[in-house]
Amino acid sequence: MDKYDIIGKSVPRNHTKDKATGAAQYTDDIKLPGMLHGRILRSPYAHARILNIDTSRAEALAGVKCVITGNDLPDIKFGNWRLFTETQDETGLARDRVRFIGDEVAAVAAIDKDIAEEALSLIRVEYEELPASFDIDTSLGKGAPIIHDPFKNNISVVRKVANGDLDKAFSECDYIREDVFNVHAISACYLEPCSSLAKCDPDGKITLWTSTQTPYMVQCLLASALGMRENDIRVIKPHVGGGFGAKMELRKWDVCAAFMAKKTGKPVKFTLTREEELATGRRRHPMRLFSKVGCKKDGTLVAKDLKILLDGGAYNAMGPTATFLCGNFGLMLYKYKSYRFLGQHVYTNNPPSSAIRGFGSPQSYFATETQMNLIAEDLGIDPIEIRRMNAVKTGDVIPELSTIGSCAFSECLDKVIEVSGYHEKRKNPKKGRGIGIGCYSFISGGVFNWFNTQYPFSAAEIRAFADGTVHLLTMASDIGQGSDTILPQILAEELGLKMEDIRITSADTATTPQADLGSWGSRVTLMAGNAVIDAAKKLKEILFGAVTAHYNLNVIHELECKDGRIFSQVRPDKGLTFGQAVALAQKFNRGVPIVTRGSYTPRGMGMVTPAFSFGAQVAEVEVDEKTGRVEVKKMWTAHDCGTVLNPVSVEGQLEGSIHMGLGYVLSEQFAMEKGKTLNTTFLDYKMPSALDMPVSESICIETYEKEGPYGAKEAGEGLVGPTAPAIADAVYNAVGYRCMDMPITPEKVLKGKKDSLN
Amino acid sequence: MGLSRFDYYAPETIGDACELAGKLGEGTMFMAGGTDLLIKAKRRLLNVSAVIDIKKIKELNKITFDEKEGLVIGSTVTLTEIENHPLIKEKYPAIADAAAATANVQIRNMASAAGNLCNAAPSAENAPVLLAMGANVTVEGRDGKRIIPLDKFFTGPGQTVLKQGELLTAINVPVPPKGAGTSYQHISARGKVDISSVCVGAMLVMKGDICEDARIFLGAVAPTPMMAKNAQELLKGKKITEELLQTAGIEASKECKPITDMRASKEYRTLMVAVLTGRAIDESRRRAAK
Repeated sequence: MDKYDIIGKSVPRNHTKDKATGAAQYTDDIKLPGMLHGRILRSPYAHARILNIDTSRAEALAGVKCVITGNDLPDIKFGNWRLFTETQDETGLARDRVRFIGDEVAAVAAIDKDIAEEALSLIRVEYEELPASFDIDTSLGKGAPIIHDPFKNNISVVRKVANGDLDKAFSECDYIREDVFNVHAISACYLEPCSSLAKCDPDGKITLWTSTQTPYMVQCLLASALGMRENDIRVIKPHVGGGFGAKMELRKWDVCAAFMAKKTGKPVKFTLTREEELATGRRRHPMRLFSKVGCKKDGTLVAKDLKILLDGGAYNAMGPTATFLCGNFGLMLYKYKSYRFLGQHVYTNNPPSSAIRGFGSPQSYFATETQMNLIAEDLGIDPIEIRRMNAVKTGDVIPELSTIGSCAFSECLDKVIEVSGYHEKRKNPKKGRGIGIGCYSFISGGVFNWFNTQYPFSAAEIRAFADGTVHLLTMASDIGQGSDTILPQILAEELGLKMEDIRITSADTATTPQADLGSWGSRVTLMAGNAVIDAAKKLKEILFGAVTAHYNLNVIHELECKDGRIFSQVRPDKGLTFGQAVALAQKFNRGVPIVTRGSYTPRGMGMVTPAFSFGAQVAEVEVDEKTGRVEVKKMWTAHDCGTVLNPVSVEGQLEGSIHMGLGYVLSEQFAMEKGKTLNTTFLDYKMPSALDMPVSESICIETYEKEGPYGAKEAGEGLVGPTAPAIADAVYNAVGYRCMDMPITPEKVLKGKKDSLN
Repeated sequence: MGLSRFDYYAPETIGDACELAGKLGEGTMFMAGGTDLLIKAKRRLLNVSAVIDIKKIKELNKITFDEKEGLVIGSTVTLTEIENHPLIKEKYPAIADAAAATANVQIRNMASAAGNLCNAAPSAENAPVLLAMGANVTVEGRDGKRIIPLDKFFTGPGQTVLKQGELLTAINVPVPPKGAGTSYQHISARGKVDISSVCVGAMLVMKGDICEDARIFLGAVAPTPMMAKNAQELLKGKKITEELLQTAGIEASKECKPITDMRASKEYRTLMVAVLTGRAIDESRRRAAK
């Protein structure tokens, strides 16, 4: 790694001190003079027609400044899939119907929260209850209630993939296995509940501070929801306490805050409670996966027929993307001669599902990886060997979708097996102990432009100063993943500067360059990183020109930025400090500021992603055979994220993934009763605590991804995929219970265990 | 829901506190750590018009022990203090275990064992062991002081024999009999930081291999913490074998009256009563032998 000065170093996060001391400002920390507090009235019914809303008593309450219902807002639907307007199914508040318990019906803004809360209790809503559906079977069954009128069968999105001759491929198989897997909903559990604060200037222009992953999308969609122009709305993303995919849409409180600020002339803030988040917030899609896989006697995979039904809940949210991506995840890890996928996104009257870390991949890989273990067992083949023989590799083409630019999947398998002692532990089992494997491949950002942006996917602007500093502006959103650190780190490397020489302004649609699709799908390091490099290259051209002119260097001299200097590579003494070069370049242009812009949009990269990451994970568990409790003793991970730009940051992502994967497979689930969420606090929503975290050991297998900045690609999101199947496989290895329906609970273990094992 | 508006008092003596509570009447709540009270008040599960903070009353904030009276835990002593107290760890290890198994660090730093009892959740972590060890509570009011055996204290979920204006001032735990060993066992869905879906407290008095006396209490499997009477009887006068502790566990599981809720099913709770009772007996026996 010595060829770089700062890339590959564990540069500490630049927000660490702010966050540790409490100085970091999140949206809810912002208080403006005269600010009103908003609260939302939610539907107590899973499916009902709104007959009448009487807000008069609420409006009469002292301290209440504004009460609105759906009919006060423009009748405009919004949703992230702008390319397919029929998928846009939400309005700022319910207009005539509510579709889940918690659906937003009315909003109140008052001088304090308690008054706003009291006002909610004074709003009288007359409902006519409608039949509701709480599962995909009911929604797809005969006589099912129609949840959105345009979709008579409750299927809002269909995605198909078909490669090769499937029937022929299956006829060539020696062995065929069909399984059904069911996976459940979980919460993103970001520690910062959603919050938004809107202010309206006297000229009608709006500023919105909101806890979002996608300020640009919020800007565009808010403009359309309010019938305004995009540039009349400024969206600022303050510090965000995690998003995990569940904060990447325009949300109803954003619309309400902006609308009410405009109406009252006062700033309006909405901050959700944890109870609201758990009862009504976005969830990971529950899915039913039907997977039929055929292979040769020796384990060579031949054909796969995958059908997935997604429980989308009451609105599409990011479900269309999850449906789309599931089709890709089904064939990203192993080679098949023929592959068919049918994904159907089904409306129910549950709280809406959306993107949550992995975007469909945790569900997909739970099925794929569990099934690989089942096949290996049936055929008497080592589970590692069957993976190795079918693993995709660099240069493989995913038909019609993509070409894999770099891949160290097999190396990951070898390494994780070696460090975990997998084979040794399988051969000599200890009572109650088990070891299992799971693998994944993930995307480094998406290519499919469903948002229909006209801007580059990522952009950067650099302003250079004569004092040797630069100002980096980007709409990339740091939501805790660290882009405000990694982008300056990339720029520091490019320009030969130190971290403290770089000021960063990010995620403010009025000041940072157009545009960026936001932080999701693990796109930021690759896409915004490339945009930063592009801008840096343009800046270097200007400064190299200045230095060349100053020393009258031959134009064939290559120049370099290093240690705050810009100099000729063959004559290092011919050089200036970075600041001197900036001053010179600026004087050449009679004072015109030195500003360069860069951008990145994946082109000619297929429809999926510019780069694929890979990894393999081994889990060791101990199962208490009397109580059925599973304790994860250790996790080993080997992954290929291309060049590691910041090791400690990658490690942090990995730990976070294990934490989420652990909760997903062992303890987190919603207790639902006819669409009503019973566990609405962290007392009963069982997110693992720090004490429940296993010891973890990880190895990065470095590859060079030519599409990524310095060869880097996705790190951390995809890693949430293998954790559940690896732990589930380890539980099977320990006590003989094979989980096909997530999550693994002590009761299921007790029922399913076989006493003879280990 | 926001916190309702209430008056706040912080008297410095037990007498003043009781006098005040008597005067203020209905809607007046005593508060130690406030970790249950304030949440209930915020959710409007309690109608609170006045809060009497007892943390300024110095005499409530102490742990004392003597060989005659046993252990006295004042009602503002925090769970963290109990968990870390050298004497409790030595002589009453299961009391320390139960305190350490309650909630999380931040809550244990605020919450009191007395408050955990007064909150009277069926799952109250600190109740089963104290019950097994024959604890009493001292209660004071405007009309004087009374001592209540802990097994007469709970009357239902969230309900105790405390009268309006009465303050629990201390938990008194007798000196453990010679040959006594104690244990606290619990299980929950999450793992290490969680509310129990089943918990068991036990005290066995051993003479060699023979169990002379046994007290076993179960939590979260009935409206109040309950005694596993038949399981206790089964052990008395017998040599504790692997088989016996399993039988006693099964006996306890027959006695309990769990419900299905989102924390566990009735069937699983019943099974766990058997397992945890067995483990509590086993650990008590081992500790007695030390």
